[in-house]
Amino acid sequence: MAAAAASFHVRSAGAVRRRAVNALMTGALWAAALSILVLLAFFVGYILYLGAPAISWHFLTAPPSEVDAGGGIGPEIFNSFYILILTLFFTTPIAMAGGIYLQEYARPGLFTSAVQFCAESLATVPSIVMGLFGLLVFVTMLHWKVTALGGALTLTLLNLPALMRVTQEALASVPDAFREGSMALGATQWQTIRRVVLPSAIAPLTTGIVLIAGRIFGETAALIFTAGVSVSTGRSAYDFGLFHQAETLSVHLWYTHSESLVPDAARVGNGSALVLLVMVLIFNLSARFIGLGLSRRFMGK
Amino acid sequence: MGALIVYLAYMGLQLFVVDHVSPLTFLFSSNFAPDEKHPGALVFIIGSVTITLFAICVGGPLGVAVGIFLSLLAPKRLAGAMKPAIEILVGIPSVVYGWLGLTLLVPLVREHAGSQTGFGLLTAGIVLSIMILPTVVSLSEDALRAVPVALQEGSMSLGATRWQTIWNVLLPAARGGLTVAVILGIARAIGEALAVQMVIGNSAVLPKGLLAPTAALTTEIVTDMGSAQEGTVLFHSLFSMALLLLLIAMALIFAVRLALRRSA
Repeated sequence: MAAAAASFHVRSAGAVRRRAVNALMTGALWAAALSILVLLAFFVGYILYLGAPAISWHFLTAPPSEVDAGGGIGPEIFNSFYILILTLFFTTPIAMAGGIYLQEYARPGLFTSAVQFCAESLATVPSIVMGLFGLLVFVTMLHWKVTALGGALTLTLLNLPALMRVTQEALASVPDAFREGSMALGATQWQTIRRVVLPSAIAPLTTGIVLIAGRIFGETAALIFTAGVSVSTGRSAYDFGLFHQAETLSVHLWYTHSESLVPDAARVGNGSALVLLVMVLIFNLSARFIGLGLSRRFMGK
Repeated sequence: MGALIVYLAYMGLQLFVVDHVSPLTFLFSSNFAPDEKHPGALVFIIGSVTITLFAICVGGPLGVAVGIFLSLLAPKRLAGAMKPAIEILVGIPSVVYGWLGLTLLVPLVREHAGSQTGFGLLTAGIVLSIMILPTVVSLSEDALRAVPVALQEGSMSLGATRWQTIWNVLLPAARGGLTVAVILGIARAIGEALAVQMVIGNSAVLPKGLLAPTAALTTEIVTDMGSAQEGTVLFHSLFSMALLLLLIAMALIFAVRLALRRSA
């Protein structure tokens, strides 16, 4: 009787400890998770607090200044969008073609796995290394100097693997029954892809492209030595020329802090950081809503 | 990809072939004096390795913890709020992280950690820890979700608490995927240039401690490439550093493949 009671006692002490550890670790996991939300809220709040006083119509439209206070970021915002559009123009067709090929046509084999391996390696190349490659090819070898086109092509290389991945995953999310149904009705493989598979995959595809667009918008390291650290000195700072230097907003934020001489660098930096953050939020939110809207329209959800 | 490797290898090896600098000098000398044909990059290598280790020691466990939370504990609504939050953390440009580090962390470290300037390894390590979080979180969440539910149910039905199940069953079962999460976190940390460059202090001296300013491979490229003349030892040594970074990135990809094959 005494022995049984003792063993019961021992077991319950173990149980108490196990429960205590369980409760403790559950609490720790909750704390870790909530700390991420707090961190993000704090970042957004802090940048808003710093940047809001700097924002004005003049700041958002005026050209930057090299020496005096009072410079704006108008041409930089323009260049960011310009390089973004150029990059998407080059990246999207190549990445989609590659993704469609790998997902719909390719048979497993040496060639396919070699392409996959290249894409994976390309995805981990640090962006500063890609920037140096762009510098070698477009600036030094082709003698373009630093240009909007060189920057966009460098970003194309940098983002191809990610977009190819997005395409592959979007296509993989389409059930095989769709393809089989279409083929059974006598459609060719290309007709099936164009009329059945791609429309069904449009929602994840668009979401992915918009998220990558956000990344391109904020990319900096690969652009410093390929698109340059000053805006076009041609007829206007807002320059559609492919072969002019084109400092983007994110490059400007870095440049202001580390190289430029303006006395109000902190103000320009705070304002630029806020505009960049707001743009990222817009890209993320619109990716979400576009994805939802498209899947409602095309999938009848 | 092939062109990239060949071209960077060609440029990166110029230092050793054309300038006749010994690879041993480049890798193991801490005296970076390219003007005297003595471009020792050890300071930058140590800088890169230290901040990456710091980031993975802080950001790794925290990221995996959040991954566990999202895959097992999170109520649906909270998980629904955290997913977009993590996507936004991924999307914030690295310069903005650098700017936050500069305006927020540098003064904090200067005043409270007893550092003279606030710039240095510690500051850079903290910034990187935050930057790799989203990568580690989403990959470890995926890894844990891939573990069959039956394993979890079996463990719980034998009387294990939730934490015992996580610790003894789920984490070992997801080991391969978690390794991948950590390796890709390392890849992100070691390749990051600007956020680090803005807070590490950029001086090519061996750091005496976590608070001392120093430099890393990526930051040295950013700092000196703009002024490097083509064909000089400095120019070539910066490309050798880029080549080294590329080789590290490729080694990490091989490690990922190995981890996946082992767990399969």
